[in-house]
Amino acid sequence: MSRGDRIALAFLGLHPDRARSLVERHGSPGAVVGLARRGGIEGLDPDRVRGSEACRIEMDRAGCRAVLHGEPGYPAALEDLGDPPDVLFVRGTLRPLPAVAVVGTRRCTSYGRRLASAFGREVAGAGWVLVSGLARGIDGAAHRGTIDGGGVGVAVLGSGSDVVYPADHRHLHDTLLESGGAAVTEYPPGTRPNGWRFPPRNRIISGLSAAVVVVEAGVTGGALITALRAAEQGRTVFAVPGDVDRQASVGCNLLIRDGAIPVLGPEDLIEGLSLLLGPPTRTQDPTAASGLPAGVDGDVLAATRSPIAIDDLIATLGLTAPTVLAAVARLELDRRLTRRHGLLHATPGVEV
Amino acid sequence: MFASVTSAALVGVEPSPVRVEAHVSGITTKQTVFSIVGLPDASIREARQRVQSAIIATGHRFPNRRITVNLAPADLPKVGSAYDLPIALGVLAAIGVLPPIATKVVAMGELALDGAVRAVRGGLAAGIVAGRQGLPCIVGSDGGAEAALSGADVRGVTSLAHAISVCLGEDPGEISPADPPVAVVPPPIDLASVRGQSSARRAVEIAAAGGHHLLLVGPPGAGKTMLARALPGILPDLTPSEALEVAQAHAAGGRPPAVGRRPPLRSPHHSATPAAILGGGSGVPVPGELTLADRGVLFLDELAEFPTHLLDTLRQPIEEGWVHVARKGVSVAFPCRVQVVAATNPCPCGYLGDSRTPCRCSSPAVDRYRTRLSGPLLDRFDLRVGVPRVEAAALLGAGGEASQVVRRRVEAARRVQEARGSLNRSLGRDGLDSLPWTDDAGRLLASAMDRQGLTGRGWDRVRRTARTIADLDGAEVATGDHVAEALALRGEP
Repeated sequence: MSRGDRIALAFLGLHPDRARSLVERHGSPGAVVGLARRGGIEGLDPDRVRGSEACRIEMDRAGCRAVLHGEPGYPAALEDLGDPPDVLFVRGTLRPLPAVAVVGTRRCTSYGRRLASAFGREVAGAGWVLVSGLARGIDGAAHRGTIDGGGVGVAVLGSGSDVVYPADHRHLHDTLLESGGAAVTEYPPGTRPNGWRFPPRNRIISGLSAAVVVVEAGVTGGALITALRAAEQGRTVFAVPGDVDRQASVGCNLLIRDGAIPVLGPEDLIEGLSLLLGPPTRTQDPTAASGLPAGVDGDVLAATRSPIAIDDLIATLGLTAPTVLAAVARLELDRRLTRRHGLLHATPGVEV
Repeated sequence: MFASVTSAALVGVEPSPVRVEAHVSGITTKQTVFSIVGLPDASIREARQRVQSAIIATGHRFPNRRITVNLAPADLPKVGSAYDLPIALGVLAAIGVLPPIATKVVAMGELALDGAVRAVRGGLAAGIVAGRQGLPCIVGSDGGAEAALSGADVRGVTSLAHAISVCLGEDPGEISPADPPVAVVPPPIDLASVRGQSSARRAVEIAAAGGHHLLLVGPPGAGKTMLARALPGILPDLTPSEALEVAQAHAAGGRPPAVGRRPPLRSPHHSATPAAILGGGSGVPVPGELTLADRGVLFLDELAEFPTHLLDTLRQPIEEGWVHVARKGVSVAFPCRVQVVAATNPCPCGYLGDSRTPCRCSSPAVDRYRTRLSGPLLDRFDLRVGVPRVEAAALLGAGGEASQVVRRRVEAARRVQEARGSLNRSLGRDGLDSLPWTDDAGRLLASAMDRQGLTGRGWDRVRRTARTIADLDGAEVATGDHVAEALALRGEP
């Protein structure tokens, strides 16, 4: 079982279940790679078999490195999986910190987006690592929240390290790496994000994490698969309740019925997670740390710690629309407040 | 053997007098030779048969002579059956049935073969011409109410015989105000019935006060249309002359003109043709929706559904206040001093950013949708606000301020602008530069250019809105707070 053979096997880009059964049948990764090279594996072009030098070049080009099962640096949490990936391609830094997964549907509502981003910030603020899938919707919002909160995020990809899907999350992906996070995948560089690659990917998301928080999920879809795999792996599953007749919340409500812990808000989540992960290591609230200015600006910042629509903000503060609008514009100019899809959100930790 | 009667034609929406001259030769011919000259269209040429039958039905002899009718000015194209009545009166005067003094009228109407007079579109134009010339105006009695909007001395007639006796002063030709075929404008939606939406309400008020173009962005059913329809209700009343212009535009478009002094609201569907919106049509151009909304509000619902080229062609007329339509031989300018309110979904499915329904659009689809909207027209919207779905609690709660209360503030702000000389919407860079701004206002604008990529045009947009906010505030000098609010209402940076 040479290291080179194992990496070469991973470079075949097979479905993990198929790779494992081939190794069981033929005895070793080297035997499987040899078979592939002779064209003995159905549906696999022998030209796709890479030598160890070619693997190294491709990994260099993609900017990733291979971390093998059993080697130092391989996430210990993945040992709990019945089928841990043999090779992980990693960009950035994997830290041995308690990790929490925040996942959900790509077709989310602003309710889910708002909560996911608030959870991302709170998890960051507690000093834990946030794991998610870099997808549209909930995943992206959670990652963004983590970055806003100055925390560390890990994105588990369903594609090669050099392929960011969706493409417009490229910036998010890069920011995640720059802020000390990591992007991991079991697929070799150049792998396209085929639909069948995501369910195996989801077991890594839950595997890396001590707990999985499902923010919004339909009855079908990756978020529920992640939650089910998480339960199998002995991870604690949290779910955000929603209206019973809202499609994007059906999955979460089902999870709660089946025993998931309902999340009643960001603080509630941190409390629940503290029981699993120990007390937060960074307890300061980034927004509070910057010191709220007195008056309307301070009130606006306090009320926008979690995202809020502008009309709701006006109603919450009980001030006139002109006053609140003017304060919002000034805070936006000072970059202490951001507006996205009509939701206002205080930017943490920005000193003016 | 010569007589003339005045009638009217429309040049664009502007009424213009037409002299209907009739000449009857002294020599009896074997047959009647009846010709009409002066750019008549086919329906006017057919007037020969109608006029001849009507005169005979009225009991007068139609002479076996050469009869020539000229419509002057001869280079102005004329359409329709409106000249039947003046032609008949002219011919009757030329053959001596009517004394010349009896033809000192402005007449318009279509004749039936039995001599009955039918009202035609354009009665208001005849009224206006009559008013200017100080003559009585004779129209079909059905069209009397429309013509009377001009304030002229209008007589309604039912038949050619009736018209003759009115011309002779034997009959007053009173019009009955009981059955005016004029449109009654539905009362605009009252702002009090709009729940929640505090920022959008504020934007509507500012838009009304400064005449700014307004873009409403929100999911279906959030109340965008309601807000747009509430806008005319908080605009100041039209002046009598403005109201007449509006009525004229409607009359020229062949629609019953509206009574009253409320600004009009037109809401063309996105499938409307360019001619229906800009004006046009074959032959003599008729005004389109843009002109029907003159001095009022043009509401473009589902802005993204409108063809891009149509939106592009709207830009210049909206900026200039005039739309130029050229048809063979005629080029007319229709007025269109409109305030544009547009509504759009935030994305193709409509639910981006909604609190309950997930958005089903991919990011590239959202980007494409945005790109469709970001044309030269979008740049003209000083105000762009989100109209989110209102939660049940707010729907059940108390309504907001009534339109009447808001209108008083708008009227006060408009008076300040009148004193300054122009509506804030039309303030150019020089005009804005010459207004007083506090240092704080300047700093905020500079910082927005620096940090939010505010463009030069955006800079002017914000200042225009800020000036209106200051006017609503009763402030002489626009302050930082006014600019800040304007920044917040210009949309997401």
